[in-house]
Amino acid sequence: MNGAKWSLLVLTAVLLVYMAVDRWRQPQQLEKVSESIDRLNRALEDLERTNKDLAEQIARKPAFVPTPPPTVGTAPQTGATSATPVADGKERDGNPKLGVNFLIPYDRSYYHPEWQGGTLKLFYDTPRRLNPLTDNSSVSHAVYEVATDGLCDRPVTHPEQWSESLATQVIISDDYKTYTFVLRRGVKWQRPKIAKQPAFAWLDRDVELTADDFKFAIDLTLDPAVDCPSLRNYYEDIDHAEVVDPYTFRMVWKKKTFNSLSASLGLSPIPRHIYGCAADGSPIAKEKLGVTFNQHWFDELRGVAGVGAYMLDEYVPDKVLRLRRNPDYWGVPYHFDTIEWNLEVKNDDAQLIAFKNGQVHYHGLTPLKYKSEVLDHHEARFAALDQADPKAGRKGELAWERSRRMAFSYLGWNIRNPLFADKRVRKAMSHAFPKDRIISEVFFGLGLPVLTDVAPGSQYENTDLKPYAFDLERAKALLAEAGWKDSDGDGTLDKVVDGNKKDFRFTMIYGAHVAELDSMLLIYKNELRKIGVDMQLKTVEFKEMMRVYEDHDFEALVGSWQTDWDVDYFQLWHSSQAEQQGGSNHCGFINPRVDELAVKLRETFETPARIAIVKELQAIIHEEQPYTFFRSSEGILIWQNRGKAAKEQYLDGVDESLDRLNPLIKTSLRRMYWHFRP
Amino acid sequence: MTAYIIRRLLLMIPTFIGILIINFAVLRLQGPTLVDQMQAGVGKGGGEGGPGERKAQGAAKDVENYIDRFRRSGLDLPALINLRGFTGRDEVVARLRDSAGDGPNRERPSTRNGIEKDLWLGGPQLVEPLLAVVADDGLATLHAPAALALSYCAYVTVTARDLARMPAQRLNQIQERNERLRNDRIRYTNTAQGFATVDPEATAKRADLLALFAVPGTHAEFTAARATRWSDSLVRTGFCDFMAKLFTAQLYSESRKDYVFSVIADRWYVTFWLNTISIVIAWAGSVLLGIRSARRSGSLEDRVTTSALFLAWSMPSMFFGTLLLYYFCTDTSGSKAWFPNRGLSSDDALWLPTGQYLLDLLWHAFLPLVVLSYNSFTALSRYMRANLLEQLDADYVRSARAKGCGDDAVVYRHAVGNSLITMITLAGGLLADLFSGALIVELIFSIPGLGWLMLDAAIQQDGPLLMGSTVITVSLLLVGILISDLLYAVVDPRIRGRYA
Repeated sequence: MNGAKWSLLVLTAVLLVYMAVDRWRQPQQLEKVSESIDRLNRALEDLERTNKDLAEQIARKPAFVPTPPPTVGTAPQTGATSATPVADGKERDGNPKLGVNFLIPYDRSYYHPEWQGGTLKLFYDTPRRLNPLTDNSSVSHAVYEVATDGLCDRPVTHPEQWSESLATQVIISDDYKTYTFVLRRGVKWQRPKIAKQPAFAWLDRDVELTADDFKFAIDLTLDPAVDCPSLRNYYEDIDHAEVVDPYTFRMVWKKKTFNSLSASLGLSPIPRHIYGCAADGSPIAKEKLGVTFNQHWFDELRGVAGVGAYMLDEYVPDKVLRLRRNPDYWGVPYHFDTIEWNLEVKNDDAQLIAFKNGQVHYHGLTPLKYKSEVLDHHEARFAALDQADPKAGRKGELAWERSRRMAFSYLGWNIRNPLFADKRVRKAMSHAFPKDRIISEVFFGLGLPVLTDVAPGSQYENTDLKPYAFDLERAKALLAEAGWKDSDGDGTLDKVVDGNKKDFRFTMIYGAHVAELDSMLLIYKNELRKIGVDMQLKTVEFKEMMRVYEDHDFEALVGSWQTDWDVDYFQLWHSSQAEQQGGSNHCGFINPRVDELAVKLRETFETPARIAIVKELQAIIHEEQPYTFFRSSEGILIWQNRGKAAKEQYLDGVDESLDRLNPLIKTSLRRMYWHFRP
Repeated sequence: MTAYIIRRLLLMIPTFIGILIINFAVLRLQGPTLVDQMQAGVGKGGGEGGPGERKAQGAAKDVENYIDRFRRSGLDLPALINLRGFTGRDEVVARLRDSAGDGPNRERPSTRNGIEKDLWLGGPQLVEPLLAVVADDGLATLHAPAALALSYCAYVTVTARDLARMPAQRLNQIQERNERLRNDRIRYTNTAQGFATVDPEATAKRADLLALFAVPGTHAEFTAARATRWSDSLVRTGFCDFMAKLFTAQLYSESRKDYVFSVIADRWYVTFWLNTISIVIAWAGSVLLGIRSARRSGSLEDRVTTSALFLAWSMPSMFFGTLLLYYFCTDTSGSKAWFPNRGLSSDDALWLPTGQYLLDLLWHAFLPLVVLSYNSFTALSRYMRANLLEQLDADYVRSARAKGCGDDAVVYRHAVGNSLITMITLAGGLLADLFSGALIVELIFSIPGLGWLMLDAAIQQDGPLLMGSTVITVSLLLVGILISDLLYAVVDPRIRGRYA
């Protein structure tokens, strides 16, 4: 074959490929065009509605007035008219009280209309079906966080208190067993995107949120057929929920339990007019509801319906999830028109690079990446660390700042083991643990040292506790007091127990694949070596770790807990949880006073009384040292800060949100302060 | 030739089933247990948990929901052989005793827990022996745990598909019975002292439970479900359930709440095209490189290529890929990156003219293809080189040269064809290798294909999804082998001759 023939062949092949690809793309392009037209139409409709609303507002006056931050009782009542007169004033501090509306008024202060606009882009990594109850994946939580609201809310400045949201008033009565909510009027359910299709035209109407939707949520949660076993746990003590009138909803609990507070106040509605209906709009029979809900047609069409600030625009699993502003939102929206989640990029390195290439607006750094990118300054666009200025990271073209999370890690000592039964030994272990050094050397300064399981800065924190300072001499003395001496001069402490000489030797178990833990425990091992204690190290996989917890098959372990705003001591420290199958008190900590207080705490609602109990509990646990408490988690938040290119790329208000909001709230909640640089 | 093809095709069937059986069994050894699933619900709360962080909340008490999930995905059945139909009362008693706090597993709560939960998953086949335990007055200590297990085994899972064809009366009957079973659970503790009933209504509950099963229809229903024939022990297994669902396209992924094939349908072609192209590149490239090396055997160029290839070969693709990503795909303060860092096309690719679109595709696929193929390059080109060298020493080549053929003619017309036989065998197996490579490449370059779907399924312990993806990869592998067999026949006249 000669050259001409070959090139003709290649040319034909290229042409064929070109034509095939061209043909293949045409329907896709058409589809995209029609989607864009849909989107435009929707935007026009939204605009029309907004205009109408504005015209109404202007006609009515007074127009929208930004209110100052939620200082008690000053903000005006918005939206709703409450049936009973409410004693405005000192009661409304967000701390639960009997017989009065204690909710902090709804905060509208952070919103500035002139900052509105733009598309916020970020990563999310778990593609799932979106169902408000049965899907407990993090992506689903994150969607419903902005797509719907609860009866009441935790204010971002003081999340330990409660504020108004869909309910404008709550009255707790009957010794904290009955909650009566007065709902905000005029709140409309979002119209799902499919309502535009002829088959779902029955959805294309305004539906107002009523007490029925809350009752529906409770009924579904309690329906044994609905696949939400862990959620149902929170409602196991509920007696019944009732609809008093369309705007009054009541929940009655069987017993006085503090869990009922956040389970009641945090309840989100579920749209009865969607989930209670079959695909043709006919209602589903009650006995079929539970089973149908698990595989509901609305989920299969990837629908989301809420009453929140954003509504689902597009969801292509593993590609993109886009939320757009809800034009009918009752509350104060975030500043972004659209929030777009990139679901494509999974790998840590790939995510960081996509951030650097400007494809997302904010992201996080692990301690090791923080070291290489910021501390070693491999990325010139991050400002270098400045010891004198903790906010130095905000100056870079790409900004960084520490952000805390509600979790703490610890070294747990198995008290059932004779080695750690003596609290002097446990104290010695704490004295030998160079906490501050490990935080600065292994975690590069990320994380705050903690003394108990209460987050530093919380209203519950007992600040009178004295830390067990790193002091090997003191540790040695405590061990000697407990009878541990190096009698044979082999460098390891020993003690005669039941006639047998026993060396002080134990194994520390920890989860595999965490590089920081390896380094941390090697440092600790060396320190322990100096006082004659021999610590062996053993890593295990997650599944094996679960077995270790269950069988209490350990001498010591490294663990961590996520914590919650509702402080509870029963789960981790009550003696019943040491015996129970799979209980969380895996160290076997038993203390009658702690048992008594933990039960009392679960029955106490008044904040001052709770604080007193928690402080006493902390003091006891600090004295007993079943755990050597280590650090509360801290990560690095990075964001697009400033640059020469398109201005929409750059975020503003991030530092303000870091300064003004509670340091422990989630990044997703900080976003209400954020906007693009005008 | 037709006979040859038919023979190959028929051989594929047992190979296919064999691979699936082995995969299924291995997966099940590691697969999720009821204990895992219940712990997963407690352990990893939704949200932003770090490594190993657990959320303190009570263990879920509604085991039925978990049992539903297991039944929907066929995980409640034993993997390959089901002997539950032959389980007698005595065996159940023994297992209950094994799960007691004062039993032989006193020191191992996790083992006790496992035995207990395994009994709960027994389904209708265990109803009869459990009922015998509850009915036996001599086994008073075991009544409570047996009644609990009985309530889970006799519990009927209703799926959305059942609803459509189930008469309302039957549905009500099932729901009433499920509710009654739930209410008849006798509360008990299982501590170091063994089982102890703590329920004041224990006697009444037990009586009600026995009354429930005394209804003639109920008893007959469970006796029929017991399946005591030997053939049932092979048919009523997880594997048969899986095969049935596979052929009716009913495989359901619990982690994605979607049918497996609709999840896979969106993704397989990305992986397929990437792999096919990279095989072609790797194969054609290494053949050419092999020929060149063989002809210059021993020269400096040959030695340099060999060393360079081995250097590349020893570099894991995870590392090499990340390196490429950092150096060629990252913007710095001063400059734009040379290559895109994610996906197979730009965000606005749909609106590019087709020519530009193809170039854009090439630009995006370049680095992934490099990472996918560089590894196979070394081995393949060295094989080619060695084969060709061997052929060049053969007698027929010497004859050809003696006949006066030119060097090119000798190599291309005579020697290369013969050395390709081994290369074709290798290419068939290459496909399988590439899938493991695809996983890494897809992860690093963020290409939504089958590779990381499988990775995610493995992390989520989603058996059906993992098996569904395995079916696809196994099919591709078999097709690859078939193609290589066919090419074999094309290249090797001896094979053609045998089937002529």
